[in-house]
Amino acid sequence: MTKKTEELAHFAVTIISKDRPGIVADTTEVLYRLGCNIEDSSCTMLGGDFAMILIVTHDKPFPKIRLADEFRLLHERTGLTVHLRTLHEDELKHPSEEGELCLISVYGSDRPGIVYQVTRTLADHKINITDLNTRLIGTQEEPVYVLMLEAVLPQGMTVDATSALLETHRNELQVEISVRTITPVSL
Amino acid sequence: MPPQPILTYPHPVLKKIAKPVTVIDDAILALISDLLDTMKTGPGSVGVAAPQIGVSLRACVVDVSNNRLGKENNHGLLVMLNPEIVARSGSAVMREGCMSIPDYTGEVERATAVTVRFMVGTGKVYEFEAIGFEAVAIQHEMDHLDGILFLDRIVSLKTGLFRRKSYN
Repeated sequence: MTKKTEELAHFAVTIISKDRPGIVADTTEVLYRLGCNIEDSSCTMLGGDFAMILIVTHDKPFPKIRLADEFRLLHERTGLTVHLRTLHEDELKHPSEEGELCLISVYGSDRPGIVYQVTRTLADHKINITDLNTRLIGTQEEPVYVLMLEAVLPQGMTVDATSALLETHRNELQVEISVRTITPVSL
Repeated sequence: MPPQPILTYPHPVLKKIAKPVTVIDDAILALISDLLDTMKTGPGSVGVAAPQIGVSLRACVVDVSNNRLGKENNHGLLVMLNPEIVARSGSAVMREGCMSIPDYTGEVERATAVTVRFMVGTGKVYEFEAIGFEAVAIQHEMDHLDGILFLDRIVSLKTGLFRRKSYN
């Protein structure tokens, strides 16, 4: 890695910790103290863990090692684990979401391959996932898998056509799949 | 008057409670005309409230008749002065965006039907029930008159589609 790249002040920070109150405060305290800005973030409970993904920038060139050192101390103190990656400038911009936004729900008796099969079909048709959640619900005897995702349809693709693309999975995976538009209303 | 620029947050007028229109004079008629012109030029715009163009008065315009979601049920082009919601019923969540908060959308819960009373530019008072998307648009625009933005009403995070409870 060149020195120039090393000093780019854009990072992806991923943090996972056994859940407890204070994970966000501990993490953002470090960032605040170092003068880093949180440009974008998504944080949620996953199982008994709390996961944070943040895009962090600094106004000036900033060595990754400084962040790493600080988070190592936090790890030693609290046990949370951190992964850092330097980002290039073009990874900071939100790509424009031109097409229709839809929500696809998939659910049925749990079985291997539900996420893979559905998302492979979407990928093959250039349908870009912007958000995705999965969860195992139901009982131990009858586990039910729920997949909810938001995706942007490419130009020319409709909600009905997308629904039709997924028809084979309805039969093969024995799951319910519905596709509906959630394109925001502009007021 | 030409269409006016839409003010974006954090312009302070957007968080102010707007004053009632007390007299319909040339200034109010000009405001109505500005609101209509501004709505017409906004891409896909279905409503504009006076605070969005910098005027802290209780006036807004709504027209969902050209929108896919509103074309079935609407009252056409509405000019609303001192609008009041006198009854509301039902509730539904819709993902809203606002010209005053670019690049952000969120799930907002609104009444599915509202009975609204308002004055028009001639001074006449109307009252009717709006349903569906027209009801949503009226509630959104009327919120602007009270300094309320859709950000104040978001009911769930995008990632909160299903709430996680216990894991066994």
